[in-house]
Amino acid sequence: MGFSEPKEAKAEEEQLVKDLQAGKTESFERLATLFQKKIYALSFNLTRNAMDSEDVTQEVLLTLFKKIHTFQGKSAFSSWVYRITLNATYMKLRSRKKDQSISIEELLPSFNGSGFQQEKIQDWSENTESLLFDNETRETIQKAVDLLPDKEKIVFLLRDVEGLSTEKVGEILELTVPAVKSRLHRARLFLRKKLANYFEEYKVRKETK
Amino acid sequence: MICCKECLELLHDYLEGDLQPEVSTSLEEHFEDCPPCIAFVNTYKSTTHLCKTTLNSTEIPDIVKERLKEFVDKNKNA
Repeated sequence: MGFSEPKEAKAEEEQLVKDLQAGKTESFERLATLFQKKIYALSFNLTRNAMDSEDVTQEVLLTLFKKIHTFQGKSAFSSWVYRITLNATYMKLRSRKKDQSISIEELLPSFNGSGFQQEKIQDWSENTESLLFDNETRETIQKAVDLLPDKEKIVFLLRDVEGLSTEKVGEILELTVPAVKSRLHRARLFLRKKLANYFEEYKVRKETK
Repeated sequence: MICCKECLELLHDYLEGDLQPEVSTSLEEHFEDCPPCIAFVNTYKSTTHLCKTTLNSTEIPDIVKERLKEFVDKNKNA
């Protein structure tokens, strides 16, 4: 839909933007339908607050409508929408931000002098699928993502959750491709460690039951 | 022989297929003899999958959809 890349969808999107720029207000409704879920979901994954996400979605839709003439087509329309969504969401967060993210370094892998892993690494990847629908697991995953530092979090949400390409994420965030890759890798390492702690503890809990 | 540290630093590019073939091969040779790294790679991949599936399930509640529709209609005709 709105943010996917197939040609027809893109052509429709471009036409809708042109129509709206030409004053055909009917196309606003269609654009809103195409984009509102993505706007809401991104905002919700950043704020974890339904009311804030609704406010942000309204603000972004209104900005699209009122500022459509300022969109010059230098980047993809969806990149423009993402940027407006991020700005609106960060404004919301700023008003009541308590810094709860923790240092990413603490959770990166550790190595001995010869570059071998120091920790005992358990492989819990086999048993997690069935836990996906478990509320506790979902909450743990959401909390882990909430704890990511902002710079890594947004790259992770756009690249891994939204499924955008590395290049597109770079365009939206004005980052180089290597910078996107490095932030994504750090985010994944951080989350892996958080989930490892959880699944290893989960296993012990089950075994001692 | 490359060490765990180098392998894990290259892991993102390895999984994306962005490495030179000979570098990929040396990672795979390391993995053959290193169960901790295999466990790491499996759980790294799993992490991405689990987080994606969990966070992608965010939907707009129906009541919010209705309010957004009203909002759009109102502004469209303003």
